[in-house]
Amino acid sequence: MTLIETRTLSKSYRGNLAVDAVDFDIAEGEVHALLGENGAGKSTLTKMIAGVVPPSSGEILLDGKPVTFGGPADALKQGIAMVFQETSLVPSMTVAQNLYLGDEKFLNRLRGVAISAQQFLQSLNFTVDPTATVATLGAAKRQMVEIARAVRLKARIIIFDEPTATLTPEEKRHFFALVRRLKERKVAVIFISHALEEALHISDRITVMRDGARVVTDVTANFTREKIVRAMVGRTLASGDAAKKTAVRPAGDKVLSVQDLSMGAIVKNTSFSIFAGQITGLFGLVGSGRTETAKIVAGVMKRDFNRGGEVALDGKPVRYNTPRPAMQDGIVYVTEDRKLEGFFETMSIAENLYSGHLAAGQNKIPVVSRAEMTQLAESWGRTLNIRAINPDARVVELSGGNQQKVVIGKGLVQKPRLVIFDEPTRGVDVAAIAEIHHLIEKLADDGLAVVVISSYLPEILKLSDRILVCRQGRVVEEFSPLDASEERIMYASVH
Amino acid sequence: MSVLKSGTLSQERIVFLFAVVLFAAYALLLDGFLAPNNLVAILRSVSVLGILAVGMGIVVIGRGIDLSMVAVMAMATAWQLAMMNAGTPPLLATAIVFAGVVAVGIINGLLIAYAEVPAVFATLATASFVFGLVRSRFIVQDAVPVPPSASFILEFGQARLAHMPIEVVMFAVAAFLSFVALRFTKFGRYVYYMGDNYQAARTMGIPVRPMIIGQYVVSALVAWLAGLITAAGLQSINTRVVNSTLLYDVILVVVIGGIGLSGGKGGMRNVVIGALLIGIMLNGMTILDLPNIYQNLIKATILLVALIIDSRLNPRDEQVGQQGDI
Repeated sequence: MTLIETRTLSKSYRGNLAVDAVDFDIAEGEVHALLGENGAGKSTLTKMIAGVVPPSSGEILLDGKPVTFGGPADALKQGIAMVFQETSLVPSMTVAQNLYLGDEKFLNRLRGVAISAQQFLQSLNFTVDPTATVATLGAAKRQMVEIARAVRLKARIIIFDEPTATLTPEEKRHFFALVRRLKERKVAVIFISHALEEALHISDRITVMRDGARVVTDVTANFTREKIVRAMVGRTLASGDAAKKTAVRPAGDKVLSVQDLSMGAIVKNTSFSIFAGQITGLFGLVGSGRTETAKIVAGVMKRDFNRGGEVALDGKPVRYNTPRPAMQDGIVYVTEDRKLEGFFETMSIAENLYSGHLAAGQNKIPVVSRAEMTQLAESWGRTLNIRAINPDARVVELSGGNQQKVVIGKGLVQKPRLVIFDEPTRGVDVAAIAEIHHLIEKLADDGLAVVVISSYLPEILKLSDRILVCRQGRVVEEFSPLDASEERIMYASVH
Repeated sequence: MSVLKSGTLSQERIVFLFAVVLFAAYALLLDGFLAPNNLVAILRSVSVLGILAVGMGIVVIGRGIDLSMVAVMAMATAWQLAMMNAGTPPLLATAIVFAGVVAVGIINGLLIAYAEVPAVFATLATASFVFGLVRSRFIVQDAVPVPPSASFILEFGQARLAHMPIEVVMFAVAAFLSFVALRFTKFGRYVYYMGDNYQAARTMGIPVRPMIIGQYVVSALVAWLAGLITAAGLQSINTRVVNSTLLYDVILVVVIGGIGLSGGKGGMRNVVIGALLIGIMLNGMTILDLPNIYQNLIKATILLVALIIDSRLNPRDEQVGQQGDI
């Protein structure tokens, strides 16, 4: 029988529809996989179901009765639990304490808690030591504790957001065994994933989402890998996106070559090269390590000290411990998160652009020149077509598109030879997207080596002269945009 | 809240208006408040505090805090005077202490920038260390007098420039130099970029870690200057000041003037306004003969109100919270 159902459920953030009138339902004891590209609206949909974000419109029916949740605690009371990618356990406490968190008796004897936790874990057939400190556990065991906590709180629906992304193959097998046990207990499981094989393997039904809307829901037996990929990318092409590339820029000199680059469990032995005078598109889903790879190249992050691989700029090996030497060698990384590490929010456009100029050491004496700053702001403001109500406006007051242009501008002021754009058009309006695309193409025409990281396939296909696909921490395939299609790229990036 | 947000009433303006109102009220109600000597006394009373606040202001704008300033101020000066009392030539003593003060600043900076110890704990620890080291190894009494041979220090303390005591002049000079440095030099702009968004500044290629060291070296040197001026005025330095509320008064001046603890905001103007307000307030209360304990209570209340207004005006969103302030 149907446990929970959504009817035309929608969520919009500042006018952008993240979830668009989605009907979704799940029955008890069902494992329902939710698939789609980055930004397809999977996480937002499940967050609404779990009461983490309130819906903009539409309704949620629990056991056939409409419900609204005041927050995640409220939803939990009604039996809906969400297990997040970053776990929500208290690392310094034991497993038992975490299980009973928020539910302690007035006289909270640790021994008593540990004993009842032990019994409870045994009843679930979970092999976790209740007296172990959570910080010492691996990712899979932590997930077990989270699941146990959800079950203890009588959760009837458990939502997993990318549960297997950080697990080893052995841990994955454990995880799937757990899901099966939950199924036997008539718990409904919603499973968000990029791993198609896993979804095909474990789920009863599959729903594919794209651009905030539901594309298809069907029993798993009716799906194949190809069919899912087609559903994930088969968007109706908007005008402009449709233009298939007919020519690519030829590769210039090899600017950057990366050999066997590794960083922890995120970047694993990746190798690729970047050439001057063309745009290299880097595509990958969440957890593919593409941002981390770019950050290592630009010195924002550090590769492993031992067996970290090699990075060579113009054939000379380099190792950057901070971004400054990378910047001095002409590598600029334009961040995907402009608010967190992009712009200086209390400052004006001019001051933001000038920061790049100062950091690059382009002024001879270490003295600030207002005139120089104004002139810089004017010329770059014109080049980038930054529109502000007044020139002294603080960057935080600008629209997303103009903020992005400021962040790009303050990188370009440094006169780089290699620019890495990470999601250059995220949260940017349509007009500004066209302008930013134009700007990126012009940089490549001027002979710079340009890398564009994007989750949006049409953007990758439109801009790139070469397409690299990242999967599980490494570049796995290279395409030419002339013969690549969205399906082929997506097929290479899922696993 | 809406009034506070609209920008017409920034914290700086509130404080300035408050200072003006307080000044007018005292002038009307208190005999002798407007006497020229008293006005000079107000300035003089906040000069050392103000100089310390100049150094603290620079650090706080760069999203740090230096709790070792008062310890450096007292202990560096005491050590220097002790050496001179023991017969070390003044120039040599100055050079040794200079090296020591710079070392303290560098250690603070290394702890914060490279060992990534939070600024509050790192500077608190160096404060205790500096106090303990100098008190136990280099001086024998709490108070160290200026040696009679060093009459130039005493003369310096009595000097006046344009009828202003030397303390006031030095405060003005320190504030002005810092203003110029913050506004017109690369170092100054870097301090603001770093305070506004550390991560962005780092990604930009600004040398953030050397900058942090530079900041704390500057604040340590400013603290030492404040100590020398105190000694010149009082003819001795009392190291008990380390355990007084002076440090909190410095933070009070910085915060009340409108330099947000979240960094990147305000400037030397805020320090001057904050110092003037405190000076006016304390002077009036002294004339009213309010006991010290009540003065502390009032100061504490004002600091709390200033902090609340600060967090209202500069709300810390989730992302700033993740990066952590101070």
